[in-house]
Amino acid sequence: MDFIVAMQEFILAANTDAPGVFNLRNCLILGGILFSIGAWGVIARRNILIVLISLELMLNAVNLVLASFARAHANLAHQNLNPSAGQTGQIFALFIIAVAAAEAAVGLAIVITYFRNRETVDTRDMNLMKQ
Amino acid sequence: MDFVFVVAATVCILSGLLIVSQKNPVYSVVYMLPFFLGMTTLFVLLSATFLAAIQMIVYGGAILVVFLFVIMLINLKPDELRDDSKLVPRLFTTIGAGLLCGIIAKFVRNGVPFEMSTSRVTMADGAAKMVPDNLFTAFSMPLPDPATLVTPMNKATTFGSVEDIAGPLFQYHVIPFELVSVLIVVAMLGAVLLSKKRV
Repeated sequence: MDFIVAMQEFILAANTDAPGVFNLRNCLILGGILFSIGAWGVIARRNILIVLISLELMLNAVNLVLASFARAHANLAHQNLNPSAGQTGQIFALFIIAVAAAEAAVGLAIVITYFRNRETVDTRDMNLMKQ
Repeated sequence: MDFVFVVAATVCILSGLLIVSQKNPVYSVVYMLPFFLGMTTLFVLLSATFLAAIQMIVYGGAILVVFLFVIMLINLKPDELRDDSKLVPRLFTTIGAGLLCGIIAKFVRNGVPFEMSTSRVTMADGAAKMVPDNLFTAFSMPLPDPATLVTPMNKATTFGSVEDIAGPLFQYHVIPFELVSVLIVVAMLGAVLLSKKRV
């Protein structure tokens, strides 16, 4: 339900900006919405595969925000700052993609091992330390 | 450009909602494909062409397939896909995520309510300009025209191309780059060791 409100907010923000929808603010709002959807998936879902997929979604939202900032601040690459100001954001996004790939590989290996031992992928069954 | 942005954003949000709300993880993985396509479109719109290509290759080509492989390997039966948590926790998490989204949208739309100092900087074309010290006050700025974007090499390359990324990457970020390669080797070894029959 709250996502509907958020989407209404997004459409509202898209309509109130006169010079065009595609600006930095709307890119950041889109990144925030996608990050929130991913955070909801990580917190609320109990299937560990969907939790991992939602994690990828959150990392993608962060990549989008980094690329938007890089694009918006590319022309601030003046002499007294880092001359590659625009590229730094994209390079950081590149690192995040690499870390996401490594995380997916290790996470899915853990899922396979866990399923082999316990025959389940439900996070509610992961309570060996609690017993 | 506006139209493409709206379409890609709508595709991303809808497929994201479908990803997190599926009961069977296979459908989640299937809905990841339009999500990644939308993200690639957004990266292309943001002139990050190399990032868009990497996004499609790594996410659409590698991570998606790895997820599908794992779902195939563990071969879940339908009765093992139990219903998710009860109504009250789900309601609270939904409210929490909605609040997070609303707070982000509010901050982004109105800026951060602090007084920012500005400093005088010289733009690429030589003109002096007052720029806020904190990037967060500059949220509502329009994205510059791609043809005017400054590249560090000062060549006639397009912003965000392979050449444009590679220069700063190997000039300023060599050590993180090497560390990422070490991380990937470690992750590969870890995945192989974890997935072996007898640990």
